[in-house]
Amino acid sequence: MLLPKRKWFVILIPIMICTLLTGCWDSDEIDDRAVVLAISIDKEEAEKEEIQIAHSGKTADLSDLPLIRISAQIALPGRIPLGPVTGGGGGGDQSPVWVVSVNGHTIDEAMLNLQQQVADELFLGHLRIIVVSEEIAREGVNRFMDYLKRNPEIRRTAWMVVSEGKADKFMKMAPQLERVPALYLSTVLDDAVDIGKFPSDFIGTFWSILSSNAQDAYLPYLNIKNKENVQIKGVAYFKGDKMIGKTNPLEIGLFMGILGEEKGGYGTFVDSPEIDGFLLVRATKRNVKVKTSFKNGRPHVRIIAHYEAMISEIEEDKNAKKPLNPKAINSIEEQFSKGIEKEIKQLIKKTQKDQSDIYGFGEHFRAKEPNYWKENVRTLEDWHREYENLTVQVDCKTDIRLVGMKSK
Amino acid sequence: MDTPKKISEIQTAAVVISSIIGVGVLPLPLFAVKAGNTAAPIVTLIGITISLFALLIITKLGMTHPTKTIIGYSEEILGKWLARFCNIIVILFFALLTGLGAREFGAVVITAILRETPIEVTVIVMLLLAAITSRNDLNIFAYIHTFYLPVILSPVVIIVVLSLKNANFLYLQPLLGGDMGDMFKGSLTIAALCQWSFVLTIIIPSMLQPKRAMKACTAGLLIAGVILFMLVVASLAVFGAEETKKLLWPTLELARTTSLPGNILQRLDVVFLAVWVTAVFTTLFSGYTFTCYALTGIFRLSDHKIFSFSLLPIIFLFSMLPGNLLQMYKTIEVVGRMGLILTIVYPCLLLVIDVIRRKRGKRSAAAKT
Repeated sequence: MLLPKRKWFVILIPIMICTLLTGCWDSDEIDDRAVVLAISIDKEEAEKEEIQIAHSGKTADLSDLPLIRISAQIALPGRIPLGPVTGGGGGGDQSPVWVVSVNGHTIDEAMLNLQQQVADELFLGHLRIIVVSEEIAREGVNRFMDYLKRNPEIRRTAWMVVSEGKADKFMKMAPQLERVPALYLSTVLDDAVDIGKFPSDFIGTFWSILSSNAQDAYLPYLNIKNKENVQIKGVAYFKGDKMIGKTNPLEIGLFMGILGEEKGGYGTFVDSPEIDGFLLVRATKRNVKVKTSFKNGRPHVRIIAHYEAMISEIEEDKNAKKPLNPKAINSIEEQFSKGIEKEIKQLIKKTQKDQSDIYGFGEHFRAKEPNYWKENVRTLEDWHREYENLTVQVDCKTDIRLVGMKSK
Repeated sequence: MDTPKKISEIQTAAVVISSIIGVGVLPLPLFAVKAGNTAAPIVTLIGITISLFALLIITKLGMTHPTKTIIGYSEEILGKWLARFCNIIVILFFALLTGLGAREFGAVVITAILRETPIEVTVIVMLLLAAITSRNDLNIFAYIHTFYLPVILSPVVIIVVLSLKNANFLYLQPLLGGDMGDMFKGSLTIAALCQWSFVLTIIIPSMLQPKRAMKACTAGLLIAGVILFMLVVASLAVFGAEETKKLLWPTLELARTTSLPGNILQRLDVVFLAVWVTAVFTTLFSGYTFTCYALTGIFRLSDHKIFSFSLLPIIFLFSMLPGNLLQMYKTIEVVGRMGLILTIVYPCLLLVIDVIRRKRGKRSAAAKT
């Protein structure tokens, strides 16, 4: 029995070697990949020379889709510093990324175009951020989403943002804190979420809301200053898949409040009669409940907000006589609450005019009033009509527990 | 069979759990949400109840005939030829189910990770693995299932727990609602995902104490059911009904959205897929082993090993039947629901006839004395 067994081995070993040592079909060396870190989507302005890659000639359907220009930020493997750069030594001026611009009618067509111009295979697994220009966001973003969702490389934890003006300037910016622009940009957003400057709104969340028929989507609205720093200018809010308006930075805080985000990162000036001068009150924590009901057949929302805040600065008049005292704090709390109530109402009114329910009141009605929902609302457009007539009541209560390290 | 009877209750429960958790886990939330929108958790619960019912019948049958597999007692109950006919259909069904399972696995793998690898290779590798392992006896079969159980369960639990961070609990309401007919149809699809537990019909005779099978099976199915239920709830809470309907494999997306705290791993899908391969393997292994042993029983052979490799081309052929991915899911859904006739109605009939016969047998025995 020993001999045939050995013979088996003689046959088996070459087979094993052939099959096991060939390696993987999908082996792909890291330096043979063009790692795309960020993409910007702009409208192509002039009737530029179009490289026809996915179609030959102008077809009727395509002419409806305006030509877009995509700029991709591709990492250059050798130039990305591992670890901190010390002493500003050699190669400091070389950009670690390469920006390529192509055009196409859809993202995928532009990607095919891009591949035509880049030697290595494009890899989107590290795509951190997609910047869409305001102009194109106002025309609707749905047509970009299909490619991004279909592609298994793209993470749902990537960010999508709307830029003021052209989007491709985000690809070319030169931040000081981080060598790679795309990484800096995504750090800006991740940190904004951490310190309560923006609600958590990854592209996965954006997609979920975009699919929902009871809520409108929103994205961060960014601007670049001095070619190197990024500013979160507000919330770009959508009606359906089209951007319809934007808020100012302070309204982000109120918006986060209505969403019920716990962490507060914004503050406002409060003018109190109890003391001379005015003070800056920062919200630190929130607890928000949304109650649904009906008034005269119209949907009614009651927002019960509970804020925890602290006094971070007092701007006193020159000859101020009344120092900070417990009674004053109570009145400040009241003032602060009133301010929030008023501003939340204003913000909601503004978005109601634009028929954009970014707060997800629709979700509350869908979840809690299924009968009403079934009878009156089928689609997002139905909800928009109902939402326009929605009445709002805001009850805000504030607790100021801490005043910082000063006794007065 | 000649193998010593050594399978314990825990092993039996493990077989049930890891047979059920397999390929079907990935599209499960899609099936549930398509059928019931926000009532998807209820749809899942109904589906699990149906399969629990089926499993209890099988166990009951197995316990009343503790020395025989379904091949053996069905011939006793229905008569030789009728039973053989039915059993051959059951075997064909499981061969088809195994083939389609392997195909689904291949489709996921080449879509999500190994995009250059031909689908035939992933399918054959998986089937080959099942074929080689199915040459062992049933004790080892149970060992393997028990051994892999923690590996299958823990990541699912981890992903569900971590994904709660992104959950919006409004998406889970209203709990009821949706079309009753659709919901029932959907729960049948989910019950169909659980029918791999039919492998129990050949396990019970090898159990150390077949009398305790009932408890083991119920526990096994409940644990598997809780896992499936949690997955549906988690996907629904994270994505919402409308978005879930647009995703082909919501569970995989869930793993992609979830990150370990502290940015150790920014996405868990790689870990999840690696583990999921094991889960698929144990499931296909169950289907494959059932087919082998059932064939052995029909042909009255003493060794099942001849079938383990000769079945391979047939099952592979089955796996290549559907053309594209959407066709494949249509086939899986239809075949799965048809299969419920075999895995629920057929055992029901067997049980009813068996009970009637026994009563009559007793009566005639009493009349004789």
